[in-house]
Amino acid sequence: MNPAPTASPNAALSAEQSAALVDLLFRLADDELVIGHRASEWTGLGPIIEADIALSSMAQDEIGHAQAYYRLLHDLGRPDPDTLAFLRGPEEFRCASLAALPRGDWAFSITRQFLYDAAESVRLEALADCSYRPLAELARKVAGEEKYHLLHGRTWVTKLGRGTDESRSRMQAAVDAAFPHALGLFEPTKHDRTIAAMGLQPPELALRDRWADVVEPVLAEAGLSAPAGVEPVYGGRAGRHPPELAELLEAMQKVYRIDPAAKW
Amino acid sequence: MTDTQWPVFEVFHQQARGEPHVHVGSIHAPDAETALVLAKEQFGRRQACVNLWVVPIGAISATSYEDADIFQHGSDKSYREAYGYETTKRARSIGDTQEI
Amino acid sequence: MVQMARIETGDRPGDPGYEERLAAFEARVVRGDKVEPGDWMPHDYRQQLIRLIHVHANSEICGALPEGGWIPHAPTFQRKLALCAKVQDEVGHAQLLYRACETLGKSREELVEDLISGKAKYSNVFHYHARTWADVAIIAWLIDAAAIVNQAMMAEGSYGPYARALKRICYEEAFHLTHGYDMCITLATGSPVQREMIQDALNRWWTPIMMFHGPGDRESKHTAQLMRWRVKLKTNDEQRQMFLKKYMPKILNLGLTVPDPQLRYDEQAREWRYTEPDWEEFKRVVNGNGPASALRLRTRRMAHEEGRWVREALTAAAAGRTAPLPAAAN
Repeated sequence: MNPAPTASPNAALSAEQSAALVDLLFRLADDELVIGHRASEWTGLGPIIEADIALSSMAQDEIGHAQAYYRLLHDLGRPDPDTLAFLRGPEEFRCASLAALPRGDWAFSITRQFLYDAAESVRLEALADCSYRPLAELARKVAGEEKYHLLHGRTWVTKLGRGTDESRSRMQAAVDAAFPHALGLFEPTKHDRTIAAMGLQPPELALRDRWADVVEPVLAEAGLSAPAGVEPVYGGRAGRHPPELAELLEAMQKVYRIDPAAKW
Repeated sequence: MTDTQWPVFEVFHQQARGEPHVHVGSIHAPDAETALVLAKEQFGRRQACVNLWVVPIGAISATSYEDADIFQHGSDKSYREAYGYETTKRARSIGDTQEI
Repeated sequence: MVQMARIETGDRPGDPGYEERLAAFEARVVRGDKVEPGDWMPHDYRQQLIRLIHVHANSEICGALPEGGWIPHAPTFQRKLALCAKVQDEVGHAQLLYRACETLGKSREELVEDLISGKAKYSNVFHYHARTWADVAIIAWLIDAAAIVNQAMMAEGSYGPYARALKRICYEEAFHLTHGYDMCITLATGSPVQREMIQDALNRWWTPIMMFHGPGDRESKHTAQLMRWRVKLKTNDEQRQMFLKKYMPKILNLGLTVPDPQLRYDEQAREWRYTEPDWEEFKRVVNGNGPASALRLRTRRMAHEEGRWVREALTAAAAGRTAPLPAAAN
């Protein structure tokens, strides 16, 4: 029983509801920006030229999505996307720890990207019915790109998992390292109940179950296993981040901060 | 030296339903499934595309350029073309001025 | 009928029938006919093209490095996305060019190995570091501009696969040039810090840019033959003049200066005069002794070596030679 879709920003939302919507948007935007930034670090360095080109497109997709989510926040009265991306400090970011982990080897990046894209696909499917219409429209618009990301991820994960002893062992190490952080994509927040009541999105843990249904068959086909009984890494949704996010943001923001008032 | 750069697939790209698939280039890929995933970005990231084919290069048979003369006409073949007829004139002379 | 065959017999001077075949080949090329991989061609034509296309491809993949390193620091969404797309294009161009080179008979593995061993060369400009954001702007504008002068000309060349690759490349370069110019306009008309940054970058990049099109014709041993075979349609000096004629007015219009006191337009000769670059320095750089040469090779070598297990794994997966699935958990 979703409330009627809200077409215009700010239409009759209480302070609590507004805060919940804004928090959700920041989580979506920050995840995309940070993981897109990590993917872009591979440009020119991939294992083979064709793979390099494909991952670069995915990086642009993610960064482009981030900009679109920040625009929705701007429509709700927050600063413009560049300001939101380039002037906030790490404690203001709401990304999950999975996004900011250093890129590691190809196995790690591909695995991290796959786990992330599986989560995105599940989340976007849910957001297609979001009661906040601008977000529902955006979720539907980016669905095609995410479909490719999932196809890309499934292809790489299954082939690297089944390739050689070395590739299998690197992939399993990658799954072991990334999985606890991937669970952190679904960290419950204090806004969960409000978000569900507003009809914005189902609760995080419900999405996590759907995510597991996407991920487990692919891992099985790849001959890989998810670590059992592992503790999720939480904190990102509350602004508590490992040091690598601060390092990432420092690199990302350093030119902008030379002169934030300038046009770049 | 073992070649780890993967075999070559030729890529064909269909701009829209109803259009023919057109050859746009080739990529290195380990198999057809991966070739489709990789070709999408190397050849489909800009132009409109609804469908891609990939074909292993070894599956393509070709004529030789040395034999390009087999395509040359040894005699007047205008009988195969509409321009090779004076029928418009003849039809008019018997009272038909409509399109043939 | 044959399967993508290549004719390599009797293709060297002294081989029986060579002179006749060469005359027929040159007549075709002069007429504007394209040469395709299945055609007979002189051994020298094949070797020259392999060398030239290989250098071009290497330049694209090495060129991705100084700019790619700045994607993480790009200061707005628009610049971050545009730079990522631009560098992606460079890698894409390398892909197209390696493929074109492969049609002449070298495997891509060989082409990659020759680059990272230092045997094969790449453009002088990518042997230098991109020290600031303004360096990226200068590279994105003026080096792409210099490259476009070369590529637009070569796209009319006689070797089919190379010409086709270049046409596709030229189409994508239109955005590179616009984006690069946009970045330079922004910095040159921006804050004092930005204006100083771009002038400093231009001061450091001017000499490499002037060397980009290669030594003057007196010095270039390959030019005459490449022009006779319509691989190259303009000399290095002609390309340099085309570049200066188009871009010097724009550079000056932005209020920037170039660090060459001799640089001026000669109204009578209708040519730009400039200090002749030090071609010995150019040779030293392209032979691997530029400021960033060692870093570039190290980076390419690392990417190739670290990616080896990936390429091998997918080759094995494709051949069905897969690692066995682990024993079922239940």
